[in-house]
Amino acid sequence: VAEATITEGVASKGLKGGSLGLVAVIVIGVASTAPGYSLAASLGLVTGSAGAKAPFIMLFAFVPMACIAASFYYLNKADPDCGTNFTWGVRAFGPKAGWIAGWGCVVADLVIMPNLAGVSGQYLVLLFSEKQSENIYLTTSIGILFIIAMTWICWKGIELSARSQVLLLGTELLVLTVFAVLAIGKSLGKGISRTVDGTTYKSVHPSLSWISPSGLSTSAIVAGLVTAVFIYWGWDTCVSVNEEAEDSATTPGRAAVLSTIVLLLIYLVVSYGSVSLLGPDYVTANSSDALYALGKIALPTFMVKLLLIAVLTSAAASCQTTILPATRTMLSMGAHGAAPDKLARIDPKRLTPDYSSYLFGGVSIAWYIVLVIISHNTSIDAYATSIAAVGMAIAVYYGLSGISCVLYFRKWVLKSPKNFVLMGFLPTFGGVVLIYVFCKTVWDARKPSYGGYDSSLLGVSPVLVFGTSLLVLGVPLMLWCAKKYPKFFSFRPDPAHVVKDPNSDDTLAAPLGTYTKSNRGQF
Amino acid sequence: MAGDLIVGVGGDGSGFEAARRAATIADLMHMPLVLVFGYESVAMGPRGGVLEEQVEAVGDEAVADIRTQLLASHPSLDIQVEMVLQRPVDAMLAVADAREATLIAVGHGGSGPLRAALLGSITYEIVHRSHVPVLVVPDDQADLDD
Repeated sequence: VAEATITEGVASKGLKGGSLGLVAVIVIGVASTAPGYSLAASLGLVTGSAGAKAPFIMLFAFVPMACIAASFYYLNKADPDCGTNFTWGVRAFGPKAGWIAGWGCVVADLVIMPNLAGVSGQYLVLLFSEKQSENIYLTTSIGILFIIAMTWICWKGIELSARSQVLLLGTELLVLTVFAVLAIGKSLGKGISRTVDGTTYKSVHPSLSWISPSGLSTSAIVAGLVTAVFIYWGWDTCVSVNEEAEDSATTPGRAAVLSTIVLLLIYLVVSYGSVSLLGPDYVTANSSDALYALGKIALPTFMVKLLLIAVLTSAAASCQTTILPATRTMLSMGAHGAAPDKLARIDPKRLTPDYSSYLFGGVSIAWYIVLVIISHNTSIDAYATSIAAVGMAIAVYYGLSGISCVLYFRKWVLKSPKNFVLMGFLPTFGGVVLIYVFCKTVWDARKPSYGGYDSSLLGVSPVLVFGTSLLVLGVPLMLWCAKKYPKFFSFRPDPAHVVKDPNSDDTLAAPLGTYTKSNRGQF
Repeated sequence: MAGDLIVGVGGDGSGFEAARRAATIADLMHMPLVLVFGYESVAMGPRGGVLEEQVEAVGDEAVADIRTQLLASHPSLDIQVEMVLQRPVDAMLAVADAREATLIAVGHGGSGPLRAALLGSITYEIVHRSHVPVLVVPDDQADLDD
């Protein structure tokens, strides 16, 4: 290898100018949230805990997520690192909490992979044969192939062009809207009824009371929230990270608002349609393939196929927004010396983190197989519980991000009313709500009957086991890393007085690791 | 700096063959040769920070390596480097525009029409979008491991 003798001034960096237009930014924002898949995976669980009030839960879950997006926006200005929560956690709290925040992010991504693979496997088989969709060997094999394919796509760095994204997302939104409108239409007037296995389900007239929390217990709201935060997962990265749009002063802001409105509307109308079609219990009874079960009744046959395709493409998009953040958090942890440096290895041709991708793909498949075995041999619905479990992991690492924001910018929070609201109040509120949701779920899930799953693993609800075991595993791993990588663990949080004003032109913080145990006094 | 020759290179040393041919032409015509390394991560995930640093390190090494080899055979050639945070195709076209280049040289790794249609091909896209003449140079057969 030749020595790097590029004369100074010869190499120029930063001719940055990827220009994403307004539509592209909105499309990426909505597509990365994957509304079709999110609805398919969570609808039945939300009705399971909140009944007809599912629309309220769907809307309410947005509140803490929006608050956390504000903290992402500001923290990203101080350090736009692909390690996001990990890097910010180190800067605000220190290396240990930062490490755990990074771990929480990777764990959340890992926990959802089996669900993504399971939904994709099932919906793909449904596309061809309803009978075969019960064939666990077939759906599992397809699920594994799906994980391999998605990991390969991320490793390869392939991205659909904006135009194909518009087409896919357009179809998805159109099918979902038609479904919701037809479902609500069928429920009006006399409505319809269906008898399945001796139970008769009847349409209910849509009611405005479905968007009010009245009559719901705190436990029911929290149980709904822990499954529903997941439907907005992915939206935040896009709104906070897409800085380089055309005319970046207004486009990202407008795109964030518009993509949010689109998302909220679609979740609202689809949850209304689903609940009214045959009542909330029918959705709950079909929670593993709710959208398909409902779509079959509400939609003409060719649209049902389109609905399946919409869920599949949306699951693929969701896979991308799951694998990419996970591997990049791993890369960041490796590159900053918090974990084995192999994790930061870059494939010279594809320019993507290759080792992290292989590792994440491999572990996802292993975890998926474990869940399939558990699901198949016990009464535990591992897919359903994994949605609640991922909600718990999201609550932890998003909660930490919210608190990181206030802690990190403590010098600036009280400088102006705008700062106070956007940098202080909203992140704190979002962080506290999410951490409360986590604690309350841990408490409620100590009973096997939690969430109506009515199955026990190690004497508690499987939600508790899936939701906390991997998170807790992070503690011994972190301590092991602390022994092995003392340099990283000597980092100290950025002192408050060096934090720059995020509303100014110069917002970037000094590189991670500038402040350590031994030199902190000098700053 | 009108008249520059632009050549795109990859982090794995791809494009070396194109760079070698372009260097010969640039040397003959007394023009500066500009090595362009374009890199940008996909829009759906978080980016920036160490991700870019790691990728730049890969790019720096590959470009320095190519530059050293070219200088060995063309000692008086003016070889400049542009590291551009954009997709490789956009990077090459942007540099060509900004420098009012005379020619773009690009390697061709032998991806067939189907592969190119499905996954996109830098060569095809450059040929179709460039405003200046494009020189397509087949990569060395020995390097075709993919």
